[in-house]
Amino acid sequence: MTAAAALVTLAEAWAVAGLAVAAVFLLWGIDRIDPAAHGAVAFRPLLVPGIVLLWPLVLWRWGALARAPETAGRHDRPAPASIHRRIWLALAVVLPAILLVAAAIRQEGPRDTAAVRISPPPGEAP
Amino acid sequence: MSAGYRPVGWNRSKLVYDAVLAAAVVVYLTVFLQFAPRFQGVTLPVDGAVARMQAFGTCAFLMLTVALSIGPLARLDRRFLPLLYNRRHLGVATAVVAAIHASHVLGWYYAFSPTDPYVALLSANTSYGQLLGFPFEALGLAALLILAVLAATSHDFWLAFLTPPVWKAIHFGIYAAYVLVVAHIGLGALQGDDGPLMGIVAALSVAAVVGLHLAAAAKRRRAIDTEAATGWVVVPGADGLAPGRAITVRFADGTAAAVFRDGDRLAAVSNVCAHQNGPLGEGRILDGCVTCPWHGYQYRLLDGRAPPPFTERIATYNLTRDGGRVLIDPRPNPPGTPTEGIALAAASADRREAPVLGEATT
Repeated sequence: MTAAAALVTLAEAWAVAGLAVAAVFLLWGIDRIDPAAHGAVAFRPLLVPGIVLLWPLVLWRWGALARAPETAGRHDRPAPASIHRRIWLALAVVLPAILLVAAAIRQEGPRDTAAVRISPPPGEAP
Repeated sequence: MSAGYRPVGWNRSKLVYDAVLAAAVVVYLTVFLQFAPRFQGVTLPVDGAVARMQAFGTCAFLMLTVALSIGPLARLDRRFLPLLYNRRHLGVATAVVAAIHASHVLGWYYAFSPTDPYVALLSANTSYGQLLGFPFEALGLAALLILAVLAATSHDFWLAFLTPPVWKAIHFGIYAAYVLVVAHIGLGALQGDDGPLMGIVAALSVAAVVGLHLAAAAKRRRAIDTEAATGWVVVPGADGLAPGRAITVRFADGTAAAVFRDGDRLAAVSNVCAHQNGPLGEGRILDGCVTCPWHGYQYRLLDGRAPPPFTERIATYNLTRDGGRVLIDPRPNPPGTPTEGIALAAASADRREAPVLGEATT
């Protein structure tokens, strides 16, 4: 099996496991760890893609909340503005650099050059 | 809000937002498919499948650029705040458009061989050691995965379930996605023989989004007026606030409060919405409540509590007067703590209450 085929197989297995986690979590687990989900059913299918993508994280948080339910009060810690500023200072260098490199390595195509026959197709005389 | 989850918290404003967004996407795709081939320097018209692939790909890139530009635009000019209001749907739509682009790629370049299309995508070009001919498809795939995670975790449930720090850390992935997309374009589309249009659009987009973020950061730094963390901090211009509006005060420890004028009183709450850390100081008072500009979450000004049946609480801050100056204590009260606020200076209180515009959502 090639590395690419192995990656695709791994992704398929990941998705199958995620679907299984989603089924159990949405039908049984979510009501036990989030009061706002009680009686709310229509929104649950929207969670399936996220659970499929992040099912190990879902299992971890599910277990943590089942052991020790958390209350509100964890909100007042935004990312400092300085983090965004540093990120954009870095991106101000990285993004133009990418475009400059792309322009530097670009090769002009032989658009205006007449085609030259290298060899005849099989079965055709030279 | 926290009373019970709904699939989508639509209201009139969000419906209008989504309708405009959908119309803009349709118009862009139509115009691109009609006119873009005229600007491409190819000898033969591109195939329909390739044209659609290019249309959706460029559309996703521009949507991502707009999504990243809305935040700094709103900070630089409040007239752009309505664009911020439903940015979440813009992000989800961007992921969908990018996925359609990818499906066109798979359905055209990798669909006509016995090899599985996904295996072919990952194995057709493995020249990761060189820039020229780099497998740029992998960069696009990585960006698409990130956009998919961001879109899939955009529902309010995820913020509560994962906790805000984890959710926010995941959503910082938008920056990595943008870098990957720019690299995907630079090493892919820009290497083709399609004329300079795409290169110009990409360069202008990057310049705009980077420039806006740096300009907004510079403005924010200029606005910071802090004193020592233990002392009271002057709130400049508090008595000149328009009715229902706020001024943001940033403290030495990096936290910030929003000082609002409600009628003839001033009071202060945390600048951070309990929903997705939205900047409450950029919102306004609607229906007697501080209303977050991002998603319309509301809090009573004097106690920082969401109106029943909702249960969110944010910190309040104490204000006082020192002669003609308004001072704020940088030490926040516990979330939901009632405060009295202070009276507006007499001359300012005489200003008429402005009519309330917009629509409150809870």
